[in-house]
Amino acid sequence: MKKKLLILIILSLSLCGCKDYAELNKLSIVTAIAIDKKDDKYETAILIANSQKPQTTSKEGEAQTTVYKGTGKSIAETIKTIDKKSPKHLYFSHVNVVIISEDIGKEGFLKVADWLIRHPQTRNRFYLMQVNENKASDILKIISPLESFPSQSIASLIEANKNSRSIGDTASYSNFIGRVLETGYEPIMQTIKINGDIEKGSGKENVETAEPKTYLSLGPLAIYKKDKLIGTTTRKQTESIYIINNEAKELIYTIKYKDNYINIFSNTLKTKIKLKSANSADIYVKGKGTIYEINGNTNLNSDKEIEKIAKAWNKKMKKDLEKLIKEIQENYKSDIFGFGNMIYKNYPKKWQKIKNNWNDKYFQKFKITVHTDTEIVSTGSLTKVLKDDEE
Amino acid sequence: MEHNKKESWDNMEKIKAKKVIEKIKKIYGDSGDVNSRIIDIKGTKVGCIFLESSSQTSTISDFIIKSTVLVEKDKNLFNNLLNILKNKLFNCQLFTIKNFDEFPYYLSSGFTIIIVDGHNEAIIMETRAELDRGITEATSEPVIRGSKDSFTESHSKNLGLIRKRIKDPNLWFDEIKLGKRTKTRTTIAYINGIADPKKVNQIKKRLEKIDIDGILDSGNIRDYLTPQKSIFPQIKSSERPDLACQELLNGKIIILVENSPFVLILPTIFLDYIKSSEDQNQKAINISFTRVLRFFALIITILTPAIYIAIATYDQNTIPDKLLISLAIQREGVPFPTFFEIILFMTVFEILRESDLKSPTNMSTAMSIVGALVLGQAAVDATIVSPITIIIVAITSICSLIFQDNDFINGIRFWRFLFIIASSLLGVVGILSMALIWITKIASLENLDTSFLSPLAPFDKEANKDAIIKAATPSLFKRPRYVSNENLTKQGGKK
Repeated sequence: MKKKLLILIILSLSLCGCKDYAELNKLSIVTAIAIDKKDDKYETAILIANSQKPQTTSKEGEAQTTVYKGTGKSIAETIKTIDKKSPKHLYFSHVNVVIISEDIGKEGFLKVADWLIRHPQTRNRFYLMQVNENKASDILKIISPLESFPSQSIASLIEANKNSRSIGDTASYSNFIGRVLETGYEPIMQTIKINGDIEKGSGKENVETAEPKTYLSLGPLAIYKKDKLIGTTTRKQTESIYIINNEAKELIYTIKYKDNYINIFSNTLKTKIKLKSANSADIYVKGKGTIYEINGNTNLNSDKEIEKIAKAWNKKMKKDLEKLIKEIQENYKSDIFGFGNMIYKNYPKKWQKIKNNWNDKYFQKFKITVHTDTEIVSTGSLTKVLKDDEE
Repeated sequence: MEHNKKESWDNMEKIKAKKVIEKIKKIYGDSGDVNSRIIDIKGTKVGCIFLESSSQTSTISDFIIKSTVLVEKDKNLFNNLLNILKNKLFNCQLFTIKNFDEFPYYLSSGFTIIIVDGHNEAIIMETRAELDRGITEATSEPVIRGSKDSFTESHSKNLGLIRKRIKDPNLWFDEIKLGKRTKTRTTIAYINGIADPKKVNQIKKRLEKIDIDGILDSGNIRDYLTPQKSIFPQIKSSERPDLACQELLNGKIIILVENSPFVLILPTIFLDYIKSSEDQNQKAINISFTRVLRFFALIITILTPAIYIAIATYDQNTIPDKLLISLAIQREGVPFPTFFEIILFMTVFEILRESDLKSPTNMSTAMSIVGALVLGQAAVDATIVSPITIIIVAITSICSLIFQDNDFINGIRFWRFLFIIASSLLGVVGILSMALIWITKIASLENLDTSFLSPLAPFDKEANKDAIIKAATPSLFKRPRYVSNENLTKQGGKK
């Protein structure tokens, strides 16, 4: 028995050693990485979440963040320079957010992505976002009054918007890479922007005021072709892209009806894309809506009136979607809806012929018809309007 | 019988009461509590000897002395004084012995010895003093729903507590006297026809082999009954008569030792420590839930510190983001490695528990203030330990106190420390290999042909109806096979 026990212990000792041993207070936990381009070199900023506030006892929520920057010809080199600055060992397995600048996007994200995947500690479950006007590293500096540190505020910003504005999967890194690698699919990336002054936003005073001077907000979508950035959509277009991609979970649609603006809320919108042939496809949008707000006089008691509103909504949505598709086809020439992928799956022989010129030539000619079939099922808690203009 | 007499008594040609009394006093070294009285009945001397420390003197005065004096009026006095005395004494426990070597045993047990001149027989009469505290509530195994009485130091009361619960004459008590000097009465109780006779014989053999000067508690004979070495106790002890009777009905064997309120239950399996005596008195579904809870508590109390060390020092990537940052901040400024921190506070807690057990109740308030406030709060504020360590130690110790048997808790403690050492050396791999060793160890334990892990390993479907999950009592038809193979039917035998 004792011999067997000894052998067992020795065997298990040989399986792994103490090399992975690390005390928690000897680690710098990196929660966000921002990558910028500076001349020929990369500039990487990392956010360390667990630096302690001076003169406080060690309790949760008292954490302060520190941003370290490093430059180099490759990402690994920049991290190496940061490692020299940081008094503790950098720990990357809790990276939550990666932010890249416009320059990186234009140059091609995959050049940068290699390090992110290859590093043994990093997981591939983080949010990937692009910043348009500012430097990526500036995003890490903005302190939000509601979350303890920037990377958390970005992550919770996305998670809060997952349902309401259906950002969801678009911002995740694995989704982006998946689309880059898939045949006949072009990726899109969520953008983030800083509102207000950067200097003021990085200080303590930003947290202490009732109305923060500087805050982060989610921007429109950036359209990519392979891993390269080619343009940014508007807010209106972003919404339509979500509808076509069947990602619009909650939607508020504003239509103009008899000189009044009516807001229709829908959380049941379903989109189906059906391939008719190798040259054309149908998009069916179905769903039910609720009237959210009417700022004028409309008689909601008659079914006909409601039907008319529904019809106007249908028409408006169809027009918007068709307009968007046309813009994407002609201006961006990037198949972000994955029609190419559907052709590849259904007509593989045909795809072999057109795949090289798909985005530049054939995608523009691809005929897409939009069918919208939505109805209004409820008028909310009010059946009439509050302000009656009728004399 | 007469040939048993030893030389010292042999050379008395004719028994003289006075001489016998002198001799006994000499054996006892003229101890102050050896009292005697010699009554002269028409020339024949009748001697009474008793120990005033262990006997009830009023009984002796009322019944023996009074009767002896009254005997004088009897007409047939000279025919046989001894026999007349024997018939006239008012007492139910009365008998004669010829072997005078047994005198010290009876005297120390509180009997009075009456010696009549010229008779090589002595009358032994029970005049025992009540030297126990009476039947009180069980203190070490409190229950909410169940009988409140507990075993006491009195052997006959203990037997009575069992007898009154099981009226079957097949409840047999085999008595052995253990200890060369203490001559402790030890009773093996079992139900004939249910208990395994092989196991009864084995226990008897093991007990007979004991050659020690004194047995003072049932705990003293525990180790003689378990041949294998193990940290976990393989014999459960209990002070609850209802539990003892429940186990007797399951075919187990109970050992009662004089002067000990704790009885031993054999054979014991691992799951017996997870069960509680009130389990039979409550709804089966609730009890199943409670037992699962106790099982989780067992796993938590053994593994929590080890898992914490493993993931905090090797596999930080398994901790959720916010928790990791919080833990890292908490550990900021703590000078010791996590492993040492845990060991330090575990030890402090064990010392606290030990001192709490041993200290008189009026001191425990001071102890809890020092323990909770000074050690907990101040140590965190002084960044000697991180708050999470306190939480880990607290969870671990609370979960270990769910179990009633102190020996079992200490067994858990031993393995917990082994797990901590393994995880601090090898991380999660260390925990896994230690878990393998642990399971191998407890699975290899066996006592009286009953495997320690039964009915889980070897698996017994019928017995598993009342293992971790308990079926309702009306559907439990069989007794557990791992205890005894005799007469398995518990109920519904008429069908």
